[in-house]
Amino acid sequence: MLKKQILEEFQKTVGPENIDDGEVMTNAYAYNWCMELVNCMEEKEPIPFSPIPKAIILPSNVEEVQQIVKLCNKYDIQFKAQSTGLGPWNQPSSENCIILDLRRMNKIVKIDDKNLYAVVEPYVSGAQLQAETMKYDLTVHMPGAGPQVSPLASATSMNGPGFTSPHTGHSARNVLGVEWVLPDGEILRLGSTGLKNNPDWFSGDGPGPSLRGIMRGWAGAKSGIGVFTKVAFKLFPYPCSTKFKLKGISPNYEFDIPDFMKLYVMDCKNYNYLKKVFLAVEREEISFICSHLSGYGLGAIFSNSIESLMDKIPIASTHAPLVIVIAARTRREFEYKQKVMNKIMAEFKLENIIGTKYTPNSLFYAEALRSNLGLHGFIATGGFQSSKGQCDTATVCLNTTKMSIPLKKKYIKKGVIANDFGEGVWMTSYESGHYFHVESPTLFDQTNEKSVNGMAENMNENYQFDLIKHLGAPFFVEGDRMHDKFGPHMMNYHKWLRKIKEAFDPNGIADSGFYISAK
Amino acid sequence: MKISENILSQQLVKICGSKNVTNNPEILKEYSTDMSFFMGKVPKFVTWPSKTQEILKILKLANQMNFSIIPVSSSSKLRQHGDTVPRKDNCVIIDLSKMNKIISINKENRVVMIEPGVTFKDLIPKLKQKGLRLLLPLHPTGTKSVLTSALEREPIVIPRYHWDSSDPLLCTEVIFGTGDLFRTGTAAGPGTISQQQKIGQAQLNPMGPTQFSPFRVIQGAQGSFGVVTWATLKLELIPTMQKVYHYHSNNIEELLDFQQQLVKYRLCDDTFILNNLNLASLVRKIDGEIENLAKSLLKWNMIFIISGRGDLAKDKLDYLEGDIKDLLRESNYVHLEKSDLINSDIFLKCVNESTSEPWRTRYKGYYQDIFFLSNFENISNYILMVQSKYSEDLGIYIQPINQGTSFHCEFDFFYDPNDNIKVDKIKRKISEIIINLMDSGAFFNRPYGYWAKEMYTRHIEQTSIALKKVKRIFDPNNVLNPGVLCFDD
Repeated sequence: MLKKQILEEFQKTVGPENIDDGEVMTNAYAYNWCMELVNCMEEKEPIPFSPIPKAIILPSNVEEVQQIVKLCNKYDIQFKAQSTGLGPWNQPSSENCIILDLRRMNKIVKIDDKNLYAVVEPYVSGAQLQAETMKYDLTVHMPGAGPQVSPLASATSMNGPGFTSPHTGHSARNVLGVEWVLPDGEILRLGSTGLKNNPDWFSGDGPGPSLRGIMRGWAGAKSGIGVFTKVAFKLFPYPCSTKFKLKGISPNYEFDIPDFMKLYVMDCKNYNYLKKVFLAVEREEISFICSHLSGYGLGAIFSNSIESLMDKIPIASTHAPLVIVIAARTRREFEYKQKVMNKIMAEFKLENIIGTKYTPNSLFYAEALRSNLGLHGFIATGGFQSSKGQCDTATVCLNTTKMSIPLKKKYIKKGVIANDFGEGVWMTSYESGHYFHVESPTLFDQTNEKSVNGMAENMNENYQFDLIKHLGAPFFVEGDRMHDKFGPHMMNYHKWLRKIKEAFDPNGIADSGFYISAK
Repeated sequence: MKISENILSQQLVKICGSKNVTNNPEILKEYSTDMSFFMGKVPKFVTWPSKTQEILKILKLANQMNFSIIPVSSSSKLRQHGDTVPRKDNCVIIDLSKMNKIISINKENRVVMIEPGVTFKDLIPKLKQKGLRLLLPLHPTGTKSVLTSALEREPIVIPRYHWDSSDPLLCTEVIFGTGDLFRTGTAAGPGTISQQQKIGQAQLNPMGPTQFSPFRVIQGAQGSFGVVTWATLKLELIPTMQKVYHYHSNNIEELLDFQQQLVKYRLCDDTFILNNLNLASLVRKIDGEIENLAKSLLKWNMIFIISGRGDLAKDKLDYLEGDIKDLLRESNYVHLEKSDLINSDIFLKCVNESTSEPWRTRYKGYYQDIFFLSNFENISNYILMVQSKYSEDLGIYIQPINQGTSFHCEFDFFYDPNDNIKVDKIKRKISEIIINLMDSGAFFNRPYGYWAKEMYTRHIEQTSIALKKVKRIFDPNNVLNPGVLCFDD
């Protein structure tokens, strides 16, 4: 709870109906998915709750956010901002913290179909935005977390790979103008957004150096460097006809598959061959989706229940499958892309499993267009988390996959994670194969302490493994413990990051549980 | 503390060797000016380090002895914009032209690793031999440093390959103003570069390490945060077929609209718009020829190129041509004319190769340029604004960048450098035009020389405050290129 005087000051800012420091609400906000795993990895009790926030505040605009942050500085209270709020990264790391729930900031500010970008507030979801951009023949990059999450959070503060990354890139690289409340309460507007005369959102860099480099890296700062209240990011050509017709009842919808859309799944049998095919496809710049999943993962993306997953054994027995979706706006484009695929399949002596051994439900195509494939990771055990998350060449991604199989099998044998034969990864290309990332979604039982402990041990061992084998920095190098572990092996970057934290957050007000403290 | 020049000289010689340090007045004078109107000072010494360790030692020395350093990447006398001209009395130039190794070319991953002294004329043919191409600015000067071009965020001519404003720059090795060596992106590790490469990495991912991306603040900093000693750059495969289209019109709106559609649907590779004088200067070499061609062309010219590779190259071109024809039919443009006044091969040279002399000097021998970013809607207004102030011998270049989300607008003022009256007039007019443009919202996101201070006063105060905080982290003693951007002299 907040002291009465402080509560009243916050109330003056947002109105009494938009702040709650009562036990019920603050306890409810202490819960989040995978919090038990984070607790366990930090050698705390494996409960799905973070420290209980002092209060929950719902600002409605940038001025209110600024005022709240200034009050936090005045009273030495930390803040943690959340947009759509999925995952432990939205949680406070101490009890001296309030949560800024940005759900009232839910406007699509602008869809600029001439300059090919959108400007959104934090609580706009990817699906909501895509429904609007489709009216202009445009689509939006959505992260693997799915269409229900905030693209603002992905662009400014989280990681940013998505199933459509060959066509729509990475969240961090799509950022244009940004409105950013710094931890000291000042408002920074990046690029053309910061012009005093006729500001607009078309550029996020300069004048001079780009402060986007302070805002985030491969991973975002998870509210540790301030609060992002608006962001502009690129839109991309919608890959096919925008007609989107669904019927049925969730989750068993039927979808009218657009005329010029085709799925290919090819079993490349081994990782070396997979790499060659992956690169060959991506060099042709034709894919909307181009991902490798394990056989088990492949079964999962076509399933919406455990029962339906069990039916997928024939396709789940594939060894190194590559999933490709091509889509086109015109028949000519579609025929060209099919010709390219036929050529590649002939050259590599591969066949398309789709239409021969297996035909997925039409819903798959809707989910592909909606970037909804990641959610299938929850089907088997109700919970998963990814280790790995490195990003560079196809070679290092596949080496990581191969080398990590014995490690994963060790935990499968212990019975603490689900059996995916150790091969369970998702690997995608970006920007037509210019780089790749791999992560290892690992299924565990969040309600079983033994499974949670085992998963935590598995994550920690994977971090150590990636470090000593020089496989690149994984996704979740965040928080002091992880930065202190990886920094000395990575040019002592953690010392520079700490200096940035100190310069931009001199009072340590932005919660650093998933960023870095100035120490 | 005043520097003892003798001691400094001895120290520099100790680091770089006597052949690589000079205070010869004639050479020093070459580094005291460039092609711009920026008036600077004469440096104390010029050094030519050839190793990272030498730069590191010079930077440490600068912090100890309180002198300034200006990194320069090529010995070309064609430097522009005043960013390498000393603003302080105690400057040492580190000329990186001897660090000119192409460290690796990696076709599988479409990436090249180069030192700062590598020039376009060195690199383009080497890549071509391997079937690769750089993402080029429009017909770059051969002696220009490839790395500097990327560090300066020069616009490239293929918007659909411009996935981020930072492209084609990927990872870097940099020595910060503090004298600390650092590597950005995946090059940071874990492990050394050779350990990373052994496991299959190729320094492709520029983002990071982890939760910040220092390469973004090094880029656009005009050498004021760090000295880059190598970088990886994104490449593309060379097409086997390229087809050039040249449309011209007296109505720029239609050309812009047509180009926007091509970029939106990713129907073309290279594309840019030039006015008649700039196009003539790009494709002809002698002033008479330039004038004649300029007269034959309509005012605005849009070039776009479609391309394909391998066995299915023709199939690709056929599909693109068909879709573009449909687009033209549906759009109902009335002012566009297809032109065949210029041979396609000449255009292909301009987008695929470097030139021995800056093409902007061909018409009158000299030029000044001003450039900024605009959104689609304001381009025509900015053109009208500039033309109303100065229209004589004016080249105009419009380049969609960053997947078509913004436009590089460039105005080239051509003149004879011996015509003092003209020089004075252009100097005066440029200052006036820049202020007018800035007041109207033109975004000078790469602000050089005298423009920089004007730009920062027209940007929110928090920007300069934030940049100064970053400067204090990476160059706390302000040894690197003091006085550029919003940083104090």
